[in-house]
Amino acid sequence: MHDTKRLKVLIAKPGLDGHDRGAKVVAHALKEAGMEVIYSGLHRTIDQIVNIAVQEDVDVIGLSIMTGAHIPITQKLFQKIREKGIGDKMVFVGGVIPSRDIPKLKELGVTGIFPGGTPLAETIQFLQSTVKKE
Amino acid sequence: MELVKKVLQGDERSAARLISMIEEGLDEGYEAVSLLFPYTGKAHIIGVTGAPGAGKSTIIDKLAVGYGRQKRKVGVIAVDPTSSKGGGAFLGDRVRMRAAEKEEGIFIRSMAHRGFPGGIAKATIGAAIVLDGLGKEAILIESVGAGQTEIQISMICDSVITVLTSDYGDEMQLMKAGLIEIGDIVVMNKMDKPGAMEAAEDIAHYFASRKDKPWQIPVLTMEARKGNGVERLMTTLDLHRKHIEGDVEGKSTKKEKMKQLVLALFKEEAWSSIMKKIQGKATFEEIIQKVQDGKIDPYKAVRMALQLALPKE
Repeated sequence: MHDTKRLKVLIAKPGLDGHDRGAKVVAHALKEAGMEVIYSGLHRTIDQIVNIAVQEDVDVIGLSIMTGAHIPITQKLFQKIREKGIGDKMVFVGGVIPSRDIPKLKELGVTGIFPGGTPLAETIQFLQSTVKKE
Repeated sequence: MELVKKVLQGDERSAARLISMIEEGLDEGYEAVSLLFPYTGKAHIIGVTGAPGAGKSTIIDKLAVGYGRQKRKVGVIAVDPTSSKGGGAFLGDRVRMRAAEKEEGIFIRSMAHRGFPGGIAKATIGAAIVLDGLGKEAILIESVGAGQTEIQISMICDSVITVLTSDYGDEMQLMKAGLIEIGDIVVMNKMDKPGAMEAAEDIAHYFASRKDKPWQIPVLTMEARKGNGVERLMTTLDLHRKHIEGDVEGKSTKKEKMKQLVLALFKEEAWSSIMKKIQGKATFEEIIQKVQDGKIDPYKAVRMALQLALPKE
């Protein structure tokens, strides 16, 4: 009676940033690749995002950030997911991410960083291979 | 089981995990449901069905806020379709439930239907049991929204709301089996749309002609986006619950629903175990090949496949 485990991904838009075209394109591509994608909608606080991740029991949290505040937002996310006992979730970040910030994001615990322009196939392949390994 | 204990203590993370286990069809998950089951049965399980865009998510959002005001704890299960290509799903109902999200103690879970018929998922009833065990007093289930065939939602709910808008069609649509057989309460939503009042009156007329039933299906008008009509919907839901608990017919309906639900779940499980037996077998592939080549008709193919899976002694 084993049904297949499907990858469940939360695509979240934290903060003030009102542009979600990119997030929706990524969400759609992940759905097409066979994943179950939950979309948060715009202007979410970190508390709300973490709450959704808990209730939906997602495998992966993807943050789409275009405001330049990716470092403090990501920092806060990791602090909150650890508090809530879901520190083991995989986190990836997309949006406007200057390459100089990538090492810092990795240090914070982000597994995948996909700045605007990353081919969708790359993001999909990364998620499928990384989560399977875990 | 530790997980069950935690759910009963109100731990959200354990409840969320357990729902995933049921979705994945893990034996451990089903065992946990069995352990949880004796502690449940207190919640009012409410289904919301209707065409895509009729306003199901918005009505659930408003109901959840209304119940929150009455200090009733709410659980929501929002079911969306799984893509027939590749098995993925886009679950976006939460976006319209943001007022509800702010209510104290609310638990919202999105769910892909994963090919189960009838507008819900195989795991939906399991998730409802988990949320009941978690202490939720009202559990709101949003169906996929395919309309006429969503009969399964009524099997797992105490009360079902059918949401219509003025473009539902005409009396012919109502007379077809399906949509109205599912619902206990009909909501005409988006009353600001032209023709909505006439549509509501037509439907009310239709139901008024069926006075033989102990529960007269009410037709309520709403403009859910603005919150109009929510109070009345809440009162009507309470009335309906009282009705099914007190009424002889209500009780026998509940028994019949339970039987239908078991049959539906049995069908699903029986189908997957049979498929496991024949899928990939050369003989099965040959049958498919024959029907594809036009050598045999589809009924013949089915009979051959059945003989292969369940040979007659």
